[in-house]
Amino acid sequence: MKPTELFLGILTAVGGFVDVSELVFMSQAGSRFGYALIWVVVLSTIGIMVFGEMSGRVAAIAKQPVFNLMRHRLGLRLGLVTLIASFISNMITCAAEIGGVALVLQLLTGAPYPLMALAATLAFIATVWLLPFKWIERTYGLLGLFMLVFGAALVAIHPPWREIAGGLVPQVPKGLPTRDLVAYAYFAVALLSAVMFPYETYFYSSGAIEDEWSEKDLGTNRLTTTVGFGLGALLAIALLASAAQLFGPAGISPELIGTVAQQAAVPFGKVGLLLALLGMLFAIGGAAIETCLANAYSLGQFFGWRWGRHCRPEEAPRFTLTWNAVFAGSLVIVLTGVEPIQLAEYAVVAAILVLPLTYLPLLLLAGDKTYMRAHANGPVAKILGWGFFALITIAAIAALPLFLITSGGQL
Amino acid sequence: MKPSGRLKLVSGVRDLQIVDCDDIHCGIVDDIELEGKPGGALRVKALLVGPGGYRDRLPRWWMALVRLVAGEEVVRIPWSEVESISSVVRLASPGSKLGLCRGEDKARRLLPRSRAGR
Repeated sequence: MKPTELFLGILTAVGGFVDVSELVFMSQAGSRFGYALIWVVVLSTIGIMVFGEMSGRVAAIAKQPVFNLMRHRLGLRLGLVTLIASFISNMITCAAEIGGVALVLQLLTGAPYPLMALAATLAFIATVWLLPFKWIERTYGLLGLFMLVFGAALVAIHPPWREIAGGLVPQVPKGLPTRDLVAYAYFAVALLSAVMFPYETYFYSSGAIEDEWSEKDLGTNRLTTTVGFGLGALLAIALLASAAQLFGPAGISPELIGTVAQQAAVPFGKVGLLLALLGMLFAIGGAAIETCLANAYSLGQFFGWRWGRHCRPEEAPRFTLTWNAVFAGSLVIVLTGVEPIQLAEYAVVAAILVLPLTYLPLLLLAGDKTYMRAHANGPVAKILGWGFFALITIAAIAALPLFLITSGGQL
Repeated sequence: MKPSGRLKLVSGVRDLQIVDCDDIHCGIVDDIELEGKPGGALRVKALLVGPGGYRDRLPRWWMALVRLVAGEEVVRIPWSEVESISSVVRLASPGSKLGLCRGEDKARRLLPRSRAGR
């Protein structure tokens, strides 16, 4: 691959890393617990690097996307359960992203929220219908780089770097009452889920097949997942740290998209606010398309249809109808009036429940020498893979009780 | 792997992607039909493709739901049509000739004609 292509691929991964759930949870976690949850962001980023790399490698060598594997490895019953659960989780996430984009558009234009939700959905449909896969990824990923203003904003407010570095150490804050400790556990699980959203793996591996990756693309895969996701995580940490510095001491809980954008407005004024909103618009918009396509990919792969944006719409008609229907369904959810932030919270809990079932077949196939030959998981990938699998399984078991006990972190 | 060799049907064939001779994805092996007599050799007769192929694999109430959502059509692909088996099952003929592309054809009628794509 040409260096420019590689560079653009990495930038796209950075710009596409943050979505509405991360915006919300990073800012709320920073505001409430200071820098104490940064280690969770780092840990979960290593997790998404491990499974992202694995899914790209499996797509390049075994030519198997995630849902083909899932059905073959888990069987029809468990595969169907995973398909239905992930479909619901992705649909809620897609609705949250559309709602998030509508809120940003409302802030930028002053137009009514439902109208902006409709306009955003139509724009997304037109984008997916008209643009080739690579351009969909690139356009939203690269324009999402406006989000880098949050990184610059953090530097500009002169945060306590030593305390931020202290957040890299796994910890349970001392002296917190029990209810805050339970809320801390809930935010830890929510951040893990928000960073390791399963749709990212479905989209990434399907994209690798769309781009016809082969053995020669393994280097690109490794760099995109490590450097791209790593830099994306720095942006997420900047959001958390900035919220800790600006909102925490003032007792503000950033529950609105506009409040999150204020993080860039404090040091840079109107220009910062505008850049933050534009970055959010494209980053969240890209995530809306990714979640929608992830659902169409999942169904297409599970049932063996012809799928992908490398085909003309009429060449993969069931796939095309599915992504149109997912956008339409998500818009209906948004128009019911449920807050996008609330949807993001539901999405994060639903996603963590699906994570173990998504990653188990991937781990099994990536370690299978029959399919992966010399590129099967080595000792490091095995230890990391099974270690993270254990972690997400524990998180999945804890997620629902924590969500209910804390009323979605409100306790 | 050749279809005439020894096969692990459940782990090696069932739930695999089916690709026809033109490289078109045309379904998943939803179940396998066997033939034989007590005491005699057991042979694979056909691959079953379509929601009707779930009948012996899902509880009754699940199947009722599947029937409601997707119907219970099933297409039988004669085993002689299987050319090779790897991470996919490759067929010797076009899927349309074997009745595998009806779902895509129905969906295609619902789409506006477009010059977009690629």
